[in-house]
Amino acid sequence: MADKFEPNIVGFLCNWCSYAAADLAGSNKLEVPATLTTIRVMCSSRVDPVMLLSAYLRGADGVLVAGCHPGDCHYQTGNYLARRRFALMHKILETFGLDSNRFRLSWISASEGKRFSEVTNEFAEHITKLGPNPLRKMPFIE
Amino acid sequence: MAKIGLYLCECGPNIADAIDLDRVAAEIEKDGKVAGIERHKLFCSADGKKFLAESIKKNGFERFVIAACSPKQHEGTFAEVASDVGLNPQMFQLVNIREQCAWTVPDKEQATGKALRFIRAAVTRVQYHQALEQKEIDCNPDVFVIGGGIAGIEVALRTAHKGRKVFLAEKGELGGMLKERGLLFPAMEPAGDFLGPRIDALRNNPQIELFENCKVKEVLGFFGSFVALLETQEGKEIELKAGSVVLATGAQAFNPKELAEYGYGKLDGVYTADEIEKRGVGKLLTESAKPVKSVAVIHCVGRDKLGYCSKMCCVNSMKIARQIREQSAETEVVELYRDLCLPGKGYDRFYKETEAKGVKFARFESVEVTGGDSGLTVKYKQPGGTGAELAVDMVVLSTGLAANPSNPELADMLSISVDESGFFVEEHAVLNPVSTMTEGVFIAGCARGPGDTRDTIVQASATAGKVLSSLVPGKRLQLETRTSEVSEKLCVGCGTCVTVCAYGATTLDESRHIAVVNEVLCRGCGNCASACPSGAAKHRHFTTRQLNQEVTEILK
Repeated sequence: MADKFEPNIVGFLCNWCSYAAADLAGSNKLEVPATLTTIRVMCSSRVDPVMLLSAYLRGADGVLVAGCHPGDCHYQTGNYLARRRFALMHKILETFGLDSNRFRLSWISASEGKRFSEVTNEFAEHITKLGPNPLRKMPFIE
Repeated sequence: MAKIGLYLCECGPNIADAIDLDRVAAEIEKDGKVAGIERHKLFCSADGKKFLAESIKKNGFERFVIAACSPKQHEGTFAEVASDVGLNPQMFQLVNIREQCAWTVPDKEQATGKALRFIRAAVTRVQYHQALEQKEIDCNPDVFVIGGGIAGIEVALRTAHKGRKVFLAEKGELGGMLKERGLLFPAMEPAGDFLGPRIDALRNNPQIELFENCKVKEVLGFFGSFVALLETQEGKEIELKAGSVVLATGAQAFNPKELAEYGYGKLDGVYTADEIEKRGVGKLLTESAKPVKSVAVIHCVGRDKLGYCSKMCCVNSMKIARQIREQSAETEVVELYRDLCLPGKGYDRFYKETEAKGVKFARFESVEVTGGDSGLTVKYKQPGGTGAELAVDMVVLSTGLAANPSNPELADMLSISVDESGFFVEEHAVLNPVSTMTEGVFIAGCARGPGDTRDTIVQASATAGKVLSSLVPGKRLQLETRTSEVSEKLCVGCGTCVTVCAYGATTLDESRHIAVVNEVLCRGCGNCASACPSGAAKHRHFTTRQLNQEVTEILK
């Protein structure tokens, strides 16, 4: 039996909204993909595009950045700046030969545990369909 | 390499049943990056903390990773343990294998794999943790209150009562909206009986310095150390220093002149509720050219224009209707309402009492006031579409509350925002309703949104409590440790970090051509660190290196 493809997805979650939503999903025993590993940052604006690119170069099959809904940022405008920073992300990924849908930016508030579960499951399913990150086969990736 | 300890918390059955901790321990041990692994049923318990502290000391661990619950729940708990054993509180990493693993991945095999990824990332990350110093600064416990209405007065009295020095600036006279109120609902007590003694207390309190007829020109500085510049009517400037600022700028009655359908300002006998209060109900009834036999009170004047319900006007207009009925029993009063807003304690009873006094209520969808030789005509459409008409001698317009027009200017000075209606935006609408996004700046009363006198007193008391507990005389202010810093060597002085900072924490040092971070203002979001094109800005405890190490380990 051939091994089923199991993606490796990195999720950057802002401390105040989306990380809390991920915790809430847990408290409510809602399923979140085993293939998603989260990293806590204080604000979605802490994640910079270079950090994401290096994740893809290290073989990430998908990267999720989640923050507070527009207008709800704990730090006033961080999520707007994050959105601006990632506006070009899809284009950049394409120049790397990556499907731009391997990146997702989502707004998930602290009360949306259910939404966190839905977004992450849907994203993981999508990434599974896309298959492994083609950069994984590149010689510069161990 | 630093000596790292790994602690696996079973969290009762919560983690132990969902994740194969034996396998986790065996695999991490095989990795050879930790010097020891220990398990406990519940590390957050008194027994667990004691066990953890003793184990760290006994093994001489310099850093540790604890795989347990969410850092939002127990990061503080284990930081305390770290401090207690003489480690810097940043020298550990709490891995969330409960909420974000055990509880969300039902398959034990998969959950164990995910837990391993999380723990390996933390074991790698913790090696790059840096000790951070808990900085403290002296602070000024004095309070600067802007606005001399009941909200400002209440905050000033309550904070002065606790020994704080208070400066209160009012651009006009003291008393705010209340000084023109007749009676206060629902108890129907004269507002003056309540306001007068408070103004006297304010004037006689040696802790309070009043600046009447003074405008706020500028506020500089930050939490614990604000400097305000006031300007008197004569153009004289006054400088004062305080640790916190309270915005109690109040509101003002909506002016219905711009709404043609009410005929306000054009037709005789059309008054706003405010005018009636100012002139007194009795006086208006007796001084009227002809006897006032019928009155229509129209609700929700300006509601559509303002875009919100002002909460206090329904009950306030009933108060006026009752006064009319009490002073002139033969006068018919009809309240034309759209929706009755009777929230909270005592207001529903107030409505029933008003009805019992013979005040009539009728519902409308739209209304128009016209005038003629015989008096005023109120034409209104009832729900369902049928039209109705009332011939009356007087119309009272129950107007809502509009924001103080000076709010945007003050918001700018203090780096906070006003909402689309011009009211100050609170730090959190539910959880932090009287603080703002600028630390040390608080709001009270109608400055944050429309409300009645009771709401204002409640908020002013809350604000006073916040002010008193946030700056305590003699106690130094503990600053956020996970702030940003800018490397002097790498900074090219482009100013990108200055433009992205929402708190004004980064500024350009013109003489050295570099950016500098004010650690009192920095809230530690890390935005500047991702914006910096030269890698000079660093977010402590969330450095690019630390995050990249985490990513690399996850993707191995």
